[in-house]
Amino acid sequence: MYTLRRWWGRHSLQVGLVALAIGAAGWIRFTEAQIVFEAYQWIVRPFQGEQQPELIDAKIRELQLRLEEVERQNQKLKELLGYVEKQKPRGIVAPVVGRSSDQWWQHVTLGRGSKDGIRPDYIVTGPGGLVGRILSVTPHSSKVLLITDPAFRVGVAIARTRHMGVLRGTSAELVDMEFFDKLPNVRVGDTVSTSNLSQAFPPGLPVGKVFQVNLTKSPAPVAVVELSADISSLEWVVVSPNQEARAQNGANTNTPPKAATPREEQQ
Amino acid sequence: MKTFLWGRRVHLSPAARKILNGVVTVASVFLCLLMLPVRLPGMELLNIGPNWLLIWVVAWSIKRSPVAGCCAGVTLGLLQDGMTAAIPSHVLGLAAVGFLTGRIQKQKYLQEDFISVALIVFGMVLVSETFMALQFALIGNSSIEAIWLQYQRIALVSAILSSLWAPVLYFPLNQWWQKMQALHQ
Repeated sequence: MYTLRRWWGRHSLQVGLVALAIGAAGWIRFTEAQIVFEAYQWIVRPFQGEQQPELIDAKIRELQLRLEEVERQNQKLKELLGYVEKQKPRGIVAPVVGRSSDQWWQHVTLGRGSKDGIRPDYIVTGPGGLVGRILSVTPHSSKVLLITDPAFRVGVAIARTRHMGVLRGTSAELVDMEFFDKLPNVRVGDTVSTSNLSQAFPPGLPVGKVFQVNLTKSPAPVAVVELSADISSLEWVVVSPNQEARAQNGANTNTPPKAATPREEQQ
Repeated sequence: MKTFLWGRRVHLSPAARKILNGVVTVASVFLCLLMLPVRLPGMELLNIGPNWLLIWVVAWSIKRSPVAGCCAGVTLGLLQDGMTAAIPSHVLGLAAVGFLTGRIQKQKYLQEDFISVALIVFGMVLVSETFMALQFALIGNSSIEAIWLQYQRIALVSAILSSLWAPVLYFPLNQWWQKMQALHQ
């Protein structure tokens, strides 16, 4: 007892400091290091450009005009078919200010947060197509789970044949698409976009191109997909809410919120 | 008690000195946290940067007891979990790194120079990444084969970068703590 008390008398300050340090670290972990990301954003703010880069040249402008025309026609046809769709929401343009804090995860930090209207699970697109989704937000920054992260899943389809599958990240620029069918009709060079059954993402979002096909892989055939967005050199992204998914979720609450399962596809 | 601060002789009471030491220590940890998402040219290889928190834990533990190293590992592990995701945790790996670094009889086997610190950091990155890979394998979200490939890439690149950048953090911190130690005695 005496030795214990003497030990306590000598080491109480150290024990207190250790408890304080671990307690503070635990609190920071609990709040998902919001304070660190806020400080980071505050420091890097002077280095961000204010305007997004002007990438528009004549060819892109022409393609944009044609796309608008096609979209308008598409809208008309959908109206004729009695297909009701809401106006697409406007996106929030956000700069990429940091990469992931550990190599095992594929994250980026954006320089816009909840003050700019970003919420968790919003969709992130970049030049080229789908980039990821929002994981967490602080008032002035937000963390994005990239499409290349092994934890990322999205239901996708081959645009040409509508064969569906699940895309999963591999921590590299090339990601794997696992098919639901045993013998999918797929060729190298086919375009891959998000599928209609995906609830977390709007359908038809461009993802990439088929780079390699492995039909003999078990348990399901796999295609290696080359992403159309350049993930390793992202500078600006567009964050948009997923209103279609929310509307669908409200309509039928029984369906799972994430990518479609194989059973659903077979039905 | 006299000490040099910003090139000037400053008179500091022992209590003020302790507080200043604490502030510098906490500030260095915070600086490491802020460095984690940064990828400057020359500081990244294959999109992988140095593991600053691990370098800090090694710098802290080299001249301290295994228990002190372990406590630092737990604290910084919790911080890194907050920066990324809670599962799998960095606490195990960094606590092991702190403990092992405290156990190394550095005075006996290694001299104090850049090379030995870089060597210790190199080994410790392998230890900590092994803990991470084992946890990923236990969770079982992705195949063992994929984890093994990723582990090889991450462990090697991170070990090389971290050991090269270790002196940048180790040297000033070590100087500061040594100075504080000398004044304490």
